Amino acid sequence: MSWSENSSGLGRDVPVFALVDCNNFYASCERLFNPKLKDRPVVVLSNNDGCVVARSAEVKALGIPMGVPWFKIQQEAKRYGIVAFSSNYALYADMSNRVVEVLSQFSPNIEVYSIDESFLELSGFEWLCYQSYGAEIRQRVADWLGLAVCVGIGPTKTLAKLANHSAKKNLAGHGGVCDFLTMRPDELTALLAGIPVCEVWGIGRKITAHLEEMGITTALQLREADAETIRTRFSVVVERTVRELRGTSCLELEEVVPDKQQIMCSRSFGALVYERAELEEAVASYIARVAQKLRAQDALAGALQVYIRTNVFKPEVPQYQKALTAPLPEATSDTRILTGWALRILKRIYRPGYGYHKAGVMLLGITPKGLQQFSLFAPSGVASAGSEKLMEALDGINQRYGRGTLRLAAEGVEKGWQMRRGNLSPRYTTDWAGLPIVSAS
Amino acid sequence: MPELAAPAGAGVFVPLLGAARLELPLGAVKVSAGFPSPAADYEDRRLDINEYLVRNPVSTFFFAVEGDSMEGAEIFDGDILVVDRSVRPRHGHIVVAFVNGERLVKRLFRRAGRVALVAENPNYPTLDIQEGQELEVWGVVVGKFKRFGA
Repeated sequence: MSWSENSSGLGRDVPVFALVDCNNFYASCERLFNPKLKDRPVVVLSNNDGCVVARSAEVKALGIPMGVPWFKIQQEAKRYGIVAFSSNYALYADMSNRVVEVLSQFSPNIEVYSIDESFLELSGFEWLCYQSYGAEIRQRVADWLGLAVCVGIGPTKTLAKLANHSAKKNLAGHGGVCDFLTMRPDELTALLAGIPVCEVWGIGRKITAHLEEMGITTALQLREADAETIRTRFSVVVERTVRELRGTSCLELEEVVPDKQQIMCSRSFGALVYERAELEEAVASYIARVAQKLRAQDALAGALQVYIRTNVFKPEVPQYQKALTAPLPEATSDTRILTGWALRILKRIYRPGYGYHKAGVMLLGITPKGLQQFSLFAPSGVASAGSEKLMEALDGINQRYGRGTLRLAAEGVEKGWQMRRGNLSPRYTTDWAGLPIVSAS
Repeated sequence: MPELAAPAGAGVFVPLLGAARLELPLGAVKVSAGFPSPAADYEDRRLDINEYLVRNPVSTFFFAVEGDSMEGAEIFDGDILVVDRSVRPRHGHIVVAFVNGERLVKRLFRRAGRVALVAENPNYPTLDIQEGQELEVWGVVVGKFKRFGA
């Protein structure tokens, strides 16, 4: 096969995509600043130190699966000396942003697909040898940031993803870079024949099961499948995947991250919470987080939801859960106003006598600032002109001196409800108090 | 849930007594008055310490120093080091290195097949890196700073 399907014979450029993906991202971030972790198996645990959400290569080699509850692998952990970390999202987010910044030097068009994956469009760079360009990307991220990445290159995003998979698993390419564009068609066919269909982007567990019933078990078989049949049995989405596997680019780069239509923050508590006062502190601190995110995207919220619930995994204890949404009289991003409403909602839904396990807040009806409708009847309790300056100062101080330095008293001081994070590494790159210490002795 | 709903409008305009006034920012309307500043053409950007210390922000990291082994290089206990990973480490550079599970700051010696980490204080020995021993030069120290508690 060839990639000319897309060029319609008019000399139109074939698109070229690269998918750059960090290897074992969270574990690699931990290892980057901690020399004691060299060659040691490292896992990162989910919120509340529940499950394994990231594994170093050594842990993968031990056959410990993703998502396994930490308490279930205590024996292996002891035997192999596995080091477990709580999720240090401040660190991962900063390193992720740095990776994106470095990648931006290699293409003007970039889609940040997840915290550790980005698509780069390299269309029109035909003078390049993609293989060596990929190697250069890999080298610069390694030099500048100390993180290992793999690069997959192809004429569609789906194929770039598969090329990346091939590079990572060492199935094709070399040195962590795999370029499908320069691969011979028969080589590519042989490669795809060896890749299970579930590895194809967008083919989840359900679809995989269906496809297998149809006798489609490899990426190659999916590529050769009848597109019509696939569309009628599944959807246009899966049909598009088939066409992308054939080299017809159907998915464009989504460069601009659409502004979030809702912003939420919810956490499970480290220990059950019974008192309304404690729930209030939790809810107020979540509001502080979401309001800051809201202001960061220069937007206002039109409605607010608060919910609380007991531990649904313990059916033997009394159960209660309730969510309530309130429209705001006037769209706002002011932490004080949002906190006021959130606490009023909480008061309505709180029932004493239950052990609460989780609470959350969600901002809805998000509109860009400047588009909002001023309410004729809304009480201007907090003058909006002063509000903006105050919130700016609040965000500025918290950015400089660490999150939560300046906060509403409603957030509380003790935070007994806070989630369990037993082995959290310092925020090496975002907190002056967390700088890595270097020994001169 | 009456107290949560937005106040229902009856469609009658009621001026609010004592309502906040909308103030226009002073700069919204440009009015030319008096003579232009003679300095206007010579305006420079104010000095920014970030610009001086951090040439490549994306590859720059900070480390806090503990100990006195680098005093000869004017690196003191409590200093914060500016470490730029985009600078290729060379013989003679001060570097942050990972050796034997420790983060060290030393001067890198790399000449005539000999690789060593040299202290800048006669009380500390030079650390020779033997063949087969692992040395990770983490990054090159390009500056340092300290804030006094005043």
